[in-house]
Order: sequence, then C-alpha cells, then structure tokens
Amino acid sequence: MFVSGSSFKRLLLVVAGVLTVSYAAAGSRSFGDSVDSRPLDDRKHFGYDSWKRLLPTHVKVQYAGGMGVVSVGYGWDYGRKCRWETDLLTGVLPRAYSERTHMTFTLKQNYIPWSVRCGGCFAIEPFSCGIYMNFISGENYWIREPDRYPGDQYYNFTSRLRFHLYVGQRVTFYLRSDTSLRNITLYYELTANDLDIVAKCGNRTLGLDDIVYFSAGLKLQIFGTDR
Amino acid sequence: MTLTSCQVDYHPYDTRIQGECGINAKNISRIEASTFGKTTIRFAVISDTQRWYDETREAVDALNARTDIDFVLHAGDMADFGMKAEFERQRDILNRLRVPYVVLLGNHDCLATGEEIFRSIFGAFNFAFTAGNVRVLGLNTNALEFDLRESVPNFEFLETELANYPSAATKTVVAMHAKPYTEQFGDNVAKGFQYVITRFPGLQCCINGHGHNFKIVDIFDDGVLYYECDNIAKRTYLLVTVNEDGYVCERIKF
Repeated sequence: MFVSGSSFKRLLLVVAGVLTVSYAAAGSRSFGDSVDSRPLDDRKHFGYDSWKRLLPTHVKVQYAGGMGVVSVGYGWDYGRKCRWETDLLTGVLPRAYSERTHMTFTLKQNYIPWSVRCGGCFAIEPFSCGIYMNFISGENYWIREPDRYPGDQYYNFTSRLRFHLYVGQRVTFYLRSDTSLRNITLYYELTANDLDIVAKCGNRTLGLDDIVYFSAGLKLQIFGTDR
Repeated sequence: MTLTSCQVDYHPYDTRIQGECGINAKNISRIEASTFGKTTIRFAVISDTQRWYDETREAVDALNARTDIDFVLHAGDMADFGMKAEFERQRDILNRLRVPYVVLLGNHDCLATGEEIFRSIFGAFNFAFTAGNVRVLGLNTNALEFDLRESVPNFEFLETELANYPSAATKTVVAMHAKPYTEQFGDNVAKGFQYVITRFPGLQCCINGHGHNFKIVDIFDDGVLYYECDNIAKRTYLLVTVNEDGYVCERIKF
C-alpha cells in the first residue's frame, strides 16, 4: 500500500499517540494498584555470569533506516534495567534499488531509558534513541578520497560511512520465561543522517520532514534464559 | 504495508528515484517548441546550488518574477555528496520554475551513485538543443570523476553534433560545468576541445560553473569568452541574451 506524505504523518501520530496513551494508562494503574507489587520497569538480566556476558542477548531484524532494505543481526543489552543496547547488523541493498547489490554493516548504539509494564504480557518503552554508523560495500564509495583527486581534502567527506541519529518507541511482548524466546519487541524509529542534519542546519526551508525517515524492526530476546 | 516515497530510506545512495524523471528531454521539447522561429533568445544560468536550498528557492522566485526568459540552464552541482535526496529536493525546487530548465552534470553530481541518479532524473550527460536559431550544447567536462571510464569531454558527441548541425540554427552557445584548465577538465585535451567547439557555426560564448565566482575569461586568447556563473550562495544568476546583433551576458543579483 502506498502511503502519501500526510497519511504517513497521521500514521506516525497515531502510533506515537497509542504508545503514549498506553504509557500514561499503565503508569496510573500501576501506581494505584497496591496488589501488583511488580516494579513499573521490570527489565532484568538473566543468566549472565563470567564469560557468558560475552554472549549476545538478542537478534534483530530491521526494515530500512539507511542500512539496506532489510538488516539482520545480533546484539547485547546491558547496564541497569538493560537500558543500553549495542547491535551489529548486516543489511542488503538489492540491485533493484541500486546500480548493483550492496551489503551494509551497521554498529548501532541504543538507549531505552524507560519501560512500563502493562499487565502481565507486555510493556511499553515510550522513548528510545541512539546513534549508528553504517558501512556500505562497493567500489563507488570511499572512506579516504582516491588518489586522483588533488590535495587531501578535495571533497572532505566519506561516502562509505554514514552516521545516523534516531528517536523511536517500542512495545515488548513477554512470553513464558522458561522458553528460549523470552520476549519480542516491535519498534519504529525516526532517523536522520549526518549529511542531512548538516544541510538542515544551513537551510531554514528544509523541514524536519524532509530529512527524517521511518524505519521499523523486530527484536527477539532469545538468550540468557536460565535464571 | 509498504511505506514508500521519501519517508523510507533504504540507503542515502540508493537509486530508487521518487518523482519526476527524464526532465532534460521533456524540457528540451518544451524549449524547442516555445522558441521555434525566434531570433532573440534569453536564458538565465544558475550553478552550484548544492546544499543551498534556501538560496535556490530564492533564485526560482526571482526568475519566476521575470517574464522575458525562455529557459533556465543549471550549470551543474545540484548535489553536494551525490545523495539521491539532494537531487530530488533540488529537482522539486526547480520544478517550480515557470519556464523549462535543463541541468548539466557537475563533478559533485558524480559522487557515489550520483551518476546513475542524475541519468535517471535528468538524462544524458551530453546533450544539445535548438532554442530559436541558437544551438546550445550541454557538455560533461568532469573528466577527473570519470577516470577514463568514459570519454570526457566526448569528442565523438561533438563530431556528431557538428555533422548534424540543424539548419534552423545559426549560432552556438557551449555550456559546461568545469571550464578548460581546471583540475576537473584534463589539461591535455583543452586545446583540442577549443579547436572543436570553435568549428561550430556562430560560436557566441561558453558558459561554465564549478569555480563559484563570476569571471569572464578569454582562456585561449582567441576571442571566445568563458562566463563563469557564481554559486547560488552569492544570490546571482547570469542572464544571456542572443539576438541578431550578437549576445550580451549580464550578472544579475537577486
């Protein structure tokens, strides 16, 4: 289905609104409910002792976001309440969308400050943000300019590496804790890349909606099942 | 659900163009139709609009306020980094022009997948059209970017154009992004290039961009002047008038 610009903005507003309302509703219910002693932010680590801390905690699949049509990879969550995540993703930009097929490699750092448990089976993560660096394969791109250019800084940028900033929201569905698939998180992100951010800074007529792009993904928390 | 258009980005350098393509060919048809039989032609030149969206919009407003120009020629460098979105944004701004426009390939337009994107949105890197009795040649002179992958400048194209010079045209204007003896052009072919373009009937002048500063230079001391258009950040454009008495090229501030 094709979504026009205005429909797209409405869709985003609806998604953000639903998540925010759920967050508010969950917050008021949990604070007023003395029977449910579970903390509002129920994120925990399980089964990470000694060398096992090196094991990835989840796998992800992401659609778009400047890292190919589809990217898959794995990552680690860590820190108090699992607020931090680092992902390594490999994506593909098929020939249908470029002059030939390209692979992309992404290092992504996420920060998810809050999680609000809503009942027994799901939680809202009303705000996430992060930064990622994307590397694309192919001879048309460079990190350092080819030698044919005069001087060291003829163009003074790298086409092979792009940096992106994003903000987003998530919803997590908790499954039975004795299975290897502990929970599933759906997320969407609004992303802008470094070159567009620079362009936005110098142009008042360039709107945020000109440089911000939508992406979405799925996180499967499948490791660290032993309590 | 597939979210399309500019809201989803597979990669900043993907070649999935949204919006109008093949612009030069369509606009050349419009120019040739609207100027048919005219002996006075007036066109504006803007250049090097990369990442200056505000100023490009202002230029479009200034050009739309005029009622005396037949077309607008963009002398290259629409994109700064060769990203698809840069071409699309610039195209969308220039599509607001009341008169048709054509775009030359600049060296920044060649970066990464920029060549493919330019070819899709605007068309061939070398092109020619007849506006009234003036033959306008738009040439790719960014030899440094092509690194022997293509003939730049393309002498075969020039030879073919010369052999098939239309009978309706009596005068010629040559437009390019980088002029001879710039780092992009390739010094070794500069004199050969000048020799070939001076074979064209009634060569008036050459128009170029790339240098970002208005200049009038007689590079080869042969009377053929090269007019270098400012980058758009300087809020100027060139106004070229070709009539029965010759031509006038003015720098207009907006």
